[in-house]
Amino acid sequence: MRQRLGCSGVTSKIDLEARGKALDIVKYSMRELLEQIERGEKPTLIMPKRTLSNTIYDLKHKMLLLGPELQKRSFTDVNEAKKFMQTLLMASIIYEALRNNEYPTIRDLYYRGKHSIVYRSIDGKRVSENTWDEQRESDSVIRDLEVLLSVLREDLLILSKEKGKVVGNLVIRSGDDTIDLSKMGHGAYSIEPTPDLIEFIDVDAEYILVVEKDAVFQQLHRYGFWRKYKAILVTSAGQPDRATRRFVRRLSDELKLPVYILADSDPYGFYIYSVFKAGSITLSYESERLATPSAKFIGVMMTDIFGDSVFKKIIKEREARKTLEEVATGIEDLKPKTPYLSESERSNFIIKAKTKDLERAVELIGYKVADVCMEDKDAKSKIKRKEGLTGYPWFATPHWVRELCIFFNTLSKLEIEAMASKGLKFLADKYIPEKISSGDWID
Amino acid sequence: MSQYDEVYRAVSPAEFFYKYREIAGFANPVRAVYQTVRELVENALDATDVHGIPPDVKVTIKKADETQEFYQITVEDNGIGIPPNIVPNAFGKVLFSSKYVMRQSRGMYGLGVKMVVLYAQMTTGRPVEVITSKPNFKRIYYFKLRIDVNKNEPVILEAGSWRKTRDWHGTIVSVTIEGDWNRAKSRVLEYINRTATILPYANIALLTPENEIIYYPRVVNTMPRPPVETKPHPQGLDLEFLSSLVKNTGFETLEKLLINSFQSIGEATARQIIQKAGLDPAKKPESLTNEELLALVNAIKSYDKYRPPSPKSLSPLGEEIITAGLKRAFEPEFVTAVSRRPSAYSGHPFIVEVGLAYGGKTPIGEDKPVVLRYANKIPLLYDEATDMVVEVVKDEISWDNYMVSLPAPILVLVHVCSTKVPFKGVGKESIADIPELRREVKLGIMEAARGLKQYLSKKIREEEAKKRAENIAKYIPEVARSLSIILADEDSFNAYRSEVVRKLTTVVAKRTGVSLDLIQGIVKSVEAEAGV
Ligand SMILES: Nc1ncnc2c1ncn2[C@@H]1O[C@H](COP(=O)(O)OP(=O)(O)OP(=O)(O)O)[C@@H](O)[C@H]1O
Ligand SMILES: [Mg+2]
Repeated sequence: MRQRLGCSGVTSKIDLEARGKALDIVKYSMRELLEQIERGEKPTLIMPKRTLSNTIYDLKHKMLLLGPELQKRSFTDVNEAKKFMQTLLMASIIYEALRNNEYPTIRDLYYRGKHSIVYRSIDGKRVSENTWDEQRESDSVIRDLEVLLSVLREDLLILSKEKGKVVGNLVIRSGDDTIDLSKMGHGAYSIEPTPDLIEFIDVDAEYILVVEKDAVFQQLHRYGFWRKYKAILVTSAGQPDRATRRFVRRLSDELKLPVYILADSDPYGFYIYSVFKAGSITLSYESERLATPSAKFIGVMMTDIFGDSVFKKIIKEREARKTLEEVATGIEDLKPKTPYLSESERSNFIIKAKTKDLERAVELIGYKVADVCMEDKDAKSKIKRKEGLTGYPWFATPHWVRELCIFFNTLSKLEIEAMASKGLKFLADKYIPEKISSGDWID
Repeated sequence: MSQYDEVYRAVSPAEFFYKYREIAGFANPVRAVYQTVRELVENALDATDVHGIPPDVKVTIKKADETQEFYQITVEDNGIGIPPNIVPNAFGKVLFSSKYVMRQSRGMYGLGVKMVVLYAQMTTGRPVEVITSKPNFKRIYYFKLRIDVNKNEPVILEAGSWRKTRDWHGTIVSVTIEGDWNRAKSRVLEYINRTATILPYANIALLTPENEIIYYPRVVNTMPRPPVETKPHPQGLDLEFLSSLVKNTGFETLEKLLINSFQSIGEATARQIIQKAGLDPAKKPESLTNEELLALVNAIKSYDKYRPPSPKSLSPLGEEIITAGLKRAFEPEFVTAVSRRPSAYSGHPFIVEVGLAYGGKTPIGEDKPVVLRYANKIPLLYDEATDMVVEVVKDEISWDNYMVSLPAPILVLVHVCSTKVPFKGVGKESIADIPELRREVKLGIMEAARGLKQYLSKKIREEEAKKRAENIAKYIPEVARSLSIILADEDSFNAYRSEVVRKLTTVVAKRTGVSLDLIQGIVKSVEAEAGV
């Protein structure tokens, strides 16, 4: 499907406008603060609380959002004074960078703001203290500013180190250049840190395939996968960064194309999928703009490896069935699945799950599923301390119960690379196209 | 004479003490100097504050011989003076005193100055010189005398008088003894210092042989209430006392004798006692037999409804004087004093007073606060280890509970005043463990310590508030600078920034309740370091 997209002259004018808007936003917020001081009130920053307890899963929009709780940060509260100072310091550095037409990274901001405050304490000692010591601190302040000003750092023209790449039949305009993403040779377009300033000009694609692993992305690229199947091929190269997520979201929104995620078959891979789809807990305030709720998990599924016989056996038992049904109704109505791998391939490719994998899986789906599906006593004792966890609501679906149940039972995981080593041809020409055409994905 | 025969003779008190002078504190040349100063100063103070006169006491110690270690010690006071007919006995007859009465004073035995005279006599052979005049006298009297040791009688060597040309009263006593000044010096200085500590209403000066002047000027005009002579309390009575009482009485009946000789015995009480003793109230006191006397003593002592002994005979220092004394001595950061209500043991009234100093120049108490002990306004300098007061301070008060973490600059002063201070042993340097007294000492210290605790916790609260304010104020310049970068025009940046600093300073001062000065100080220090 070839689309002609609206073509407006994209110059750095976009940048300039973005700067102007950002300057205004910062100024407005700080003027409010000054007015408080002028009225003799304690200067207070009011912003949504960035805590786990204030992170909610919005069922309607299918994403993680910040809840309604507010946090008040007063300068005259001794426990908040330093954070208050840091917030204002960060605002001023960002403001200066905006005014000077700069594009600082979060590391730049860390260095620009880091200096020592020296004073003489009431007991006469000379005390020296840093505005911040580690980048962790200044990063946290940047997140605070994002929620305070309700803008994303990209809107403030702050760059982060990005590792996302894309190829496909897509023409974009970035800055003053028009780039054809089908003409990248063996390379790929690396997604710019401010994906909102990109303009989509021309596209000819059926769907978007996001691959977790850079190596698999490159293999598919060289194989000519995207050309053959009219796909836009994206990789996050591991845990997806903000720009990649935003870029994928825009592709989904604006090109109206389905998004499929291909990740490792392990709890970590499942989690990466959920970050694309619903957002992350630490950055839940960005989900509205970064999450792609329509993204689908195409694989690798546990059922692609093992089929569904293991699961069927488990739910034959009444008690087990009842418990799993409580987690997600409809486990008996799931479509039957046959595995893609033979018995011998399985034994060659699968890796034994580690304690960390088990723990993460419990975090995703909850302890009950682990308890019902796990047979290995030794493994069970390792997750005992996670007892009581209920899992994330967006994983409480029959599909995921089946996937993770099989994981708990087999204690096995598999990397996408294994599918490629079965044969790139198998992966590119059978596995992916077949799964897409038959709708064998998890939504 | 056979081997079983002995020679018997009586010695006069003067002879006795001449021989056993160490009993009275004259054991060696070091002690002798110290003891001489002490006896003379205590007499001088008894002649003044006991009678409501703010003391002016001057002690002069001079080397009195080129080659030998002879020192002339002179003490001058502005007290009530001594009638000329009394002077010879007061200075020349051992066990002659005006202080054998129920009234708190420093002196009590009628021995002190005579020991000094005797010691001078045996070491340098020089007589005592006394110049004295009472307030209403027109003349000043002068004596030079020595003691006839065998007869215990004064020997007047010279006597004279002259007209007063100025309004002077008081006494100047001068003796010359052999002593070891160099080694006694620190003791003498400590004694004078400790005496002065509780007498802020006195001028006390000391001129040493090295011509050093040590002077403690008067800092308060308040005087302790003078003691009033009282009759003995029946609970303190014994057979001996009662026998002597009935012998030379002017009272015709037993009943009258009891009513008039004791405090807190009225008609009804007297009747009850006499009835209990199985005697006749109208009986002549002189006619009582020994058995009757014993019955009477038992009846008096077993009666249990007496009012407690009157504290009128006592002269406590009072909280104001103790406080002033400690302030002058230690310039403490905190000081408090407690004058307990009168109490009694075995018919003797007593009052415990406690002073507490903390911080400033207060000496450091290591495992317990430094303790200054006083009995009837006399400092107790020795035998600290066996003193009940020290025991209480160390073992019975948990100083932690009063927010004192030792070692700390803390000092406790305890003053016990009584018509009969219960000393431990003859040394008169430590106080014995009498339950009633121990209880009062403990309560007094606890009360004072509570005051300290209040002060310390308030201080800690204030310090915390200051610390909190400091932890906010140090960020004011940074906050102001950041705000100004965003909001100010470039050319008015500095003025804008200072204005924001000023406003923030006010807000922070208001919100933390800490002084504007403190906040400004911290802000300035940040700006100075940053070169703003
Ligand atoms: N400076 C003085 N001013 C007035 N009277 C004095 C002075 N010094 C001594 N006296 C009189 O002389 C008496 C005898 O003094 P002395 O020191 O010998 O005995 P004390 O003070 O009564 O008892 P202690 O033996 O306990 O000192 C005193 O009781 C007092 O009346
Ligand atoms: Mg005396």
